[in-house]
Amino acid sequence: MPRLSLGLIVALIAVVAIVFTVKPYFGASGPPASRMGGGGGPAMLAGAPAQSYTIKTLAGADDGLDRYRGSVVLVNLWASWCAPCRSETPALERLYRDDRGKGLVVLGIDQGESAAAASAFAKEMNLSYPILLDEDQQYGRAYAAIGLPTSLVVDRTGHIVRGIDGELSLAQMHDAVDPLLQAHE
Amino acid sequence: MNVPAAYVGPVVRGVRLNANRAVALASALAGMALVFAQDVYPTWAGFHTWQYTAALVLATIAVLGYALDARKGTDGEVGRRLAIASIGAVVVIVAGIASGLLGPDTETIARAPGTVAPLPDVGAAGFFPVADPATIARGDAHVQIRRRDGSSTDVGPNERRFFGTTALETTPQMAAYVEARDASGGRLTITQPTNAAFLSPVLLFPERVTIAGRSLPSDSFSTPAVRRTIKAFYFSKDEVAAAAHGMPGREAVLLVVDEDASGKLAPGGIGFVPSGSDATIGGVRFHVTVGTYPALVISAVPSPPALWFGGLLFLGGLAYAFGFPQDVKLWESSKKDAPARE
Repeated sequence: MPRLSLGLIVALIAVVAIVFTVKPYFGASGPPASRMGGGGGPAMLAGAPAQSYTIKTLAGADDGLDRYRGSVVLVNLWASWCAPCRSETPALERLYRDDRGKGLVVLGIDQGESAAAASAFAKEMNLSYPILLDEDQQYGRAYAAIGLPTSLVVDRTGHIVRGIDGELSLAQMHDAVDPLLQAHE
Repeated sequence: MNVPAAYVGPVVRGVRLNANRAVALASALAGMALVFAQDVYPTWAGFHTWQYTAALVLATIAVLGYALDARKGTDGEVGRRLAIASIGAVVVIVAGIASGLLGPDTETIARAPGTVAPLPDVGAAGFFPVADPATIARGDAHVQIRRRDGSSTDVGPNERRFFGTTALETTPQMAAYVEARDASGGRLTITQPTNAAFLSPVLLFPERVTIAGRSLPSDSFSTPAVRRTIKAFYFSKDEVAAAAHGMPGREAVLLVVDEDASGKLAPGGIGFVPSGSDATIGGVRFHVTVGTYPALVISAVPSPPALWFGGLLFLGGLAYAFGFPQDVKLWESSKKDAPARE
């Protein structure tokens, strides 16, 4: 049986080591951007876990998105000065009234305003769905909002199904949440 | 002592030095030091220059040339054993060349609090935490690195973390947390229409503007509820002292408030807001907290397994060459005719 020289074995090991040294620089890849968010607006968040921050309700109690785990949640980021937010609010209220019995929660999260401004808006619009106050605009930042309103559909497991920039009609809202509600029936 | 013909070096204290061996060892040590320096100062741009690569290539040629020669017995049994150490050094140096040539240049990623940056070189994502005014003032926010497998690591101020062939560390960048209220004290939404983080109340001053001969970091934001667009300019303590007499000795932000409707300066629309203080400018009451927020610095480093393997092979080779008697062989050479004398 032929004997291998020490030099040959060391050289072979060195070649293997060098190949492994260089390999990491080729084909490096990270998680798909769609699962990490950032840089592309709320649509890029589809599939990502929905981040939750504890903030206040209009009544001053602590609340946050994670408290609605198990329900389909339509998160709506809004502000009272935002004309498109004002325009879509009646449709949100209608959707909530139609589908809350099927496990839908509409969660309105005011961005950066005081309780007085948000309360006045909720009273004016006769809103029955929960309104939270995000004075530090944490949800707006975490959900890559590039404008208001911004809506996110979160499934029962707490993952974002869709992120939508801009005003939605009632039909568009139904299109977004009905498949998730029906999947549970 | 029977000295091989290749021994051509000088005689020091009665010991004949092999010039080739000395050059090879010096090249190996210098090359390895340059490579290990990448782990110590990973952000230095010099690691990605042709000069750095050229230096390592020269070291590789010197070490490899000696090793190939020594294997033939030109430097006796010690030289043959040193070939093992030489190969270890070459592995380390090639790891350095690969990192310098193939690794990405050092990059600084600045993101607004609450946002996420993909890190494809790491196979992870950097989560920039939501920061309140106190965190900005202390400057102690940690960037969280989350990998695909769900594991996560925090990178705090003055910390460095290694992920394979990448080093991550944070560097503080100036930041200001802005709060705005209307005339009745109601809080106002802050938006940054020109920023990727539209709803961030944290200014990161990405631009520089020259005002009165001073180059000042600048940013802008809006308070849409009262239809105001605001330009913000960062002033250090010294600049505040020079520009505004009687101001407290703190960092400050100069705010210039424009009316959206006219595009002109709002009445009383220009003024300083010292950090931690309130000021009413252009009909809006501002509170500004100046501090720092981390940016993530990504640098290429040599492959850790290669450094370990090569380093241990080098040390093992040295120990075998100089620490073992010449008649003790861990391996029987197949070259029976090779001279093994010194």
